[in-house]
Formats: sequence, C-alpha cells, structure tokens
Amino acid sequence: MRTLLWVIIGVVGAVAWGVLALHRGETVSAAWLLLAAIGTYLIGYRFYSRFIADKVFELDDRRATPAERLENGRDFVPIPKWVLFGHHFAAIAGAGPLVGPVLAAQFGYLPGTLWIVFGVVLAGAVQDFTILCGSIRRDGKSLGQMAKEEIGPVTGLAAMVAVLSIMIILLAVLGLVVVNALKGSPWGLFTIACTIPIAILMGFWMTIWRPGKTLEASAIGVALLLLALVGGRYVSQNPSLAPLFTHSGLTLAYLLIGYGFLASALPVWMLLCPRDYLSTFMKVGTIVLLALGILVVLPPLKLPALTRFVDGTGPIFAGKLFPFAFITIACGAISGFHALISSGTTPKMLRREGDARLIGYGGMLMESFVAVMAMCAAAVLDPGVYFAINVPLAGLGGNAASAAETIRSWGFSVTPEQMSGLAASVGETTLLGRSGGAPSLAVGMAQIFSGATGQHLAALWYHFAIMFEALFILTTIDAGTRVGRFMLQELAGHAWSPLGRTSWYPSTILASGLVVAAWGYFLVQGVTDPLGGINSLWPLFGISNQLLAGVALSVATTLIIKSGKARYAWVTVAPLVWLLAVTLSAGYLKIFSPLPRLGFLAHAADTALQVQNGALDPATAARLIFNDRLNATVAAGFMIVVVLVVASSLREWVLVLRGRKPALTRETPFIQSAWVS
Amino acid sequence: MRMLWRQIRSALVRLSGMPDYERYLLHCRAHHPELPVLSESEFFREYLETRSSGGPTRCC
Repeated sequence: MRTLLWVIIGVVGAVAWGVLALHRGETVSAAWLLLAAIGTYLIGYRFYSRFIADKVFELDDRRATPAERLENGRDFVPIPKWVLFGHHFAAIAGAGPLVGPVLAAQFGYLPGTLWIVFGVVLAGAVQDFTILCGSIRRDGKSLGQMAKEEIGPVTGLAAMVAVLSIMIILLAVLGLVVVNALKGSPWGLFTIACTIPIAILMGFWMTIWRPGKTLEASAIGVALLLLALVGGRYVSQNPSLAPLFTHSGLTLAYLLIGYGFLASALPVWMLLCPRDYLSTFMKVGTIVLLALGILVVLPPLKLPALTRFVDGTGPIFAGKLFPFAFITIACGAISGFHALISSGTTPKMLRREGDARLIGYGGMLMESFVAVMAMCAAAVLDPGVYFAINVPLAGLGGNAASAAETIRSWGFSVTPEQMSGLAASVGETTLLGRSGGAPSLAVGMAQIFSGATGQHLAALWYHFAIMFEALFILTTIDAGTRVGRFMLQELAGHAWSPLGRTSWYPSTILASGLVVAAWGYFLVQGVTDPLGGINSLWPLFGISNQLLAGVALSVATTLIIKSGKARYAWVTVAPLVWLLAVTLSAGYLKIFSPLPRLGFLAHAADTALQVQNGALDPATAARLIFNDRLNATVAAGFMIVVVLVVASSLREWVLVLRGRKPALTRETPFIQSAWVS
Repeated sequence: MRMLWRQIRSALVRLSGMPDYERYLLHCRAHHPELPVLSESEFFREYLETRSSGGPTRCC
C-alpha cells in the first residue's frame, strides 16, 4: 500500500515535469509547476534525507541532544519539533528566495525552476541538514568553530572573514532591492517608515510596560501595521503629505544607512527584536497566504519556458544560462548563509536527533517551495510587463514609448498605456525600470491575490507585498549590521583588546560605523550605477553566497570522512564540485569577460574609452572605474578564500584516507537520553 | 482548555525566537534552587542581547 502511494507520487511528479518541459505554444497552468515541485520534494524527503540520516550520520534518538545535555533555560532549550521547524524556516527564509527567481525568470520559468527543485533536493537541503547534524554532535558549535577544530585555525579564520565580507555584500544588495522598490513611492515609504515607531512601541510594551507579553505586543503591532498600510494610500493621495514621502533612490539609500547605524547601536529590545518578531509573523502568514492564493486561482504561466536571453544578452543581468541562472537563484536552491543558522540557534533547541531531518532537510525544502512560488508570481505576468518592470530604465531607452519599442524588438508586446494603467491600478505613478525583483513580485502577488478577492483591492495587495518584502529585508539589514559589528569587534580584539569589548561604547560606535559604511558604500554604488546596480551587485552576492555554501560543504565532507564514512562522502562532494564549477566560472566571467556589460574589467576599460571620446565626464568615469576594480577585487577575494578552504580540506581528506592521520572527529561522546527509553 | 492556550502561546512565542520565561523558571527551580532568578524583564533583555550578538539569526 505504502509502496503504491510512493509510486503514485513519483508518477504524478514525473508527468508534471513532462507537461512543463514539453509544453509549447499555449500557456500552461501554475498547477503543473507546483505538482512537479511537491512531488520531487516528497520523494527527496522520503528517500534521500532518510538515507543521509540513517547511513551517513546514523541519527539516533537515544543519543541526548545539546538541548537536553546543556539545557540552561535560555538558548539551550528543547522545543517541539514543529515549532522549531517554523522557527528555523523563519530564520533561513528572507528576501533572497523571493528576489532571485524573479530575476532569473529572464531565462524563462523552466531553467530556474529545475535548479530550484533539483538543486534543493541534492545540494541545498543536504548542506543545511549535514551542517545541522555536525553541529548537534558538537554541542551546537558554529560553522567557523567546526572549520577551525576539524580542518585548522587558518581555515577557521578564513571562514570568518568570508562570512563577514559576504554579509557586507548581502546587506548592500538587499538595501538596493528596498531602495528600488520605494523610490518615488510615497505609499510604500510611509508604510515602511511607520514600522520603526511601531517596533519601538512594541519594544517598550514587551520589555518595560508589560514584560514578557510578547503576543499582546505583536497583536498590537500587526494591527498598527495594517493601519499604516491603509494610511499609506491616504498619504499618497494627499498633495501636502505625499512630497514628504517621495524621495530619490540616493536619498533613500542614505536614510537606510542612517537607520542601519541606529539599529546596530541601540539596545536590541528597543527596535531590532520587536521588528524581528513582527516580521516573523508577517513572513509565515504571507507565505501561507501566497500558497493558498496560487492554489485557489491556479493562474496560467504567461512567460515562455525558455526565452532568447539564455544566450547571455539578457537585459536584467548579463551572462549566459550557465553559470548565471545558478548564481542568480541564490537562496532558493542552496544558500551558504543557512549553514550559519544550522550551526547557530537551531541545533541548541533540537529535542531529538531524528528531528534534524524534518528541520534541516525539510526546512530547506520549504524555502525552495517559496522560491517556486516567487517564480510563479513572476511567470503569471505578461512577459512584456515583466521586462518593463525589471529592466533598468537605461536599458529601456529612458521613457515609456522607447520602453514599449525596445520590448517589442525582443518579441514581447507591451504598450505605454498598459504600463501606466497597471501603475495606477496599484497606486504608483510608474512601474517602469524598477529593477530588483520586489516590485514585479508584488505586481504578480497582487494579481494572484486580487484574482481571489477582486480587482479593486489590487493596490492594497501590491503595497502589502512591498511592505512584507521590505519588512524582512530591513530585519536582515539591522540584524546583519549588528552581527557584522560583533564579528568586526571580535576580529579587532585580536589586534587591540579594548576594541573587542562589545559593551565599550567607543568600540561599538566605531565598529557599527565601519560595517554600515562598508555596505553603504556598495549600496550607493548600486543606486548610482548607470546599469542599474542589480547587474553588478546581485551576481556578486550570488557568487559569495554559493561560495559560502562551498565552505560549508567542505566542512561537512571533512566531518563525514573523519567519522569513518568516506564511502558516503559523495553526498556532499558532488554538490561541492558542482558549486565550485558554477561559482568559479561565474566569478571568472564577472572579472575577465571581454563584454563590458558582463566583465568588471572590460567595463572599466570601456568607461575609460568613453572619456576619451568625450561621452562621459572624467569625474564620473573615475568613480565608475574605481567601483569596477573594487568589484573585481571583491569577486577575486571570495574566490581565493574558497579555493584556500577547499584546498586545506582536501589535504585533510587525503591525510585521513591514506591513514596518515587518524580518522578522529571532535564529536561529543554518546550520552543516553533520559527522554527516550 | 487553559493548558491548551498555554501551549499555543508558548509555541507562538518560541516560533518567533523569543524566550519562554516560564520554562526558564521551571529550569531554575529544578536545577539551581539556591540561585536567585532574573525578573521577567531582566531575563528578556539579557536573552535578546545574547541572541543578537551570537551570530546571524536571519538569512537572506
């Protein structure tokens, strides 16, 4: 009976993939995409994750977890499996899986979806799960600590530097997404600005006035947030209020930088934590809502399965399908950042070892499903509309008429009236050239939701979606700035110990300022980039995030080999090899490609040429050239760090496999759990 | 009924990464009865401070 069920799931999944792959001409329903994804996840979860749990790690519920052995009522606390699943999912899922697929849709929906679904089953979920298993066997140690203990101190340091620099790029690119979504949008900016006083109010409520009453505070927070959403419409229509909230990208970038500094230096209970709290509920709620919306409406996918831009001429970002589809999807298929959560807060709360399968592997499948839904939201748009929103204005010729003309030349149709009508229906003045993924996702979501609730609510749904994305991007920005500050203080503490004291105010101010200045620099660079910023920063982020995954998989492989399971090392080695091929070739192309839109150095040379021809003033050119060289250096830096980590791990593997070094890991010895008999 | 509400509340609080004060009190009474316990407000602020300084708690 059970076997029959799994055969049916397999067949349904395979048929759905077949429909997607072979369908030509007419539009195909989003239902097939969802069926194909869910079928593959179920098979992957049932068979592959069980194989990893049973054979590779031999997870054993009789073995006490850190939450049992080290319980302290604070961070080491056992919590129920499904609650931890929700908590872990909320921690790993952010704006990445929403934005990446929307951008990658320029290749059509099929390549991105294939990578999101198969990538997660064979690579992304494997990474999260293996690192989680490694960490629960080592008292919840972090990725950096495991790298240091199992591979060597230099590798540990390299991992730490990698994490810090990846964080800087991540914060900059997420900031750029928010800025592009909010520029010239009084409704959006008003709603987002309101989240700051709302969070502060919640902070005082749950820590000072009614300590511990977090649910009361969040009920109030959600209510006020919805009020701010509705209020935004009033503000945007009021001639004296609207200009106060209408700003250029550059002004917004500076406001965001100021906010990041404040959030990092203020006590966490005041702003950072309540906002985090609010965004968790919004995140889980909206994702459930989006899934229901897609299931109820079952919209047709209007984007073709493959577009002509697989040849590398894509207007949203440059580069061919390989390797750039895999770089752009970033978080939905595999994300190195998750390794930091899987070896951070989550392993300290696991009740039983066996729960790791649902939380580590299952949590990542869930994130992948979010990415599939984002792909659906992009693919339900008319292709012409999709490109009009996502291609930077410079790439569209600067105005609505030229945009329609350019998009027609690519074989899609859109009229200026269609775009202005769409903008008006969602309460915006224009949607042209809002690159960054968030606005087109919001238009797609608004289309899906208003398909279920009626068109008159489209504007409200659009701004709800923008608010929801901006809310958790800001959460990542303030939490990330703060963590970056602590990491910088720890590193600086090695040089001069007072700098390492995280409670010493001058050190805090200095470190917060440095972290904010670093991502702020890249953010401003992106906002002022004539090519739109996303073209240079998003691939840089994708490369760095996937390279961090390379570090995590190297550590995981070392753990597997050292625990005497070398025959199963392919579980992590295979995705590692693929990731290295993708990221190193993408990194190489971003630096050395002779095409100015793709290669940083070629772009610098092209800019210099434009100065000679008198087409560009020397001051602007000098800034652009400096930024190109900086980006090239950053990409090269990431590649070097990863090659170093992989090489030192490889050396360790060879030593162990040849028997020149004992296969010993630093696992905590087995202690019988008191909870399982 | 009260028990169920307490469980739902604790699950929601835990879901968002906030600490469970009652659980902390139970732990303290069981394991360190001789030590003084933090007040709810102190406990909350201390937890938030350590949580947000340990490592990333939110991804991309």
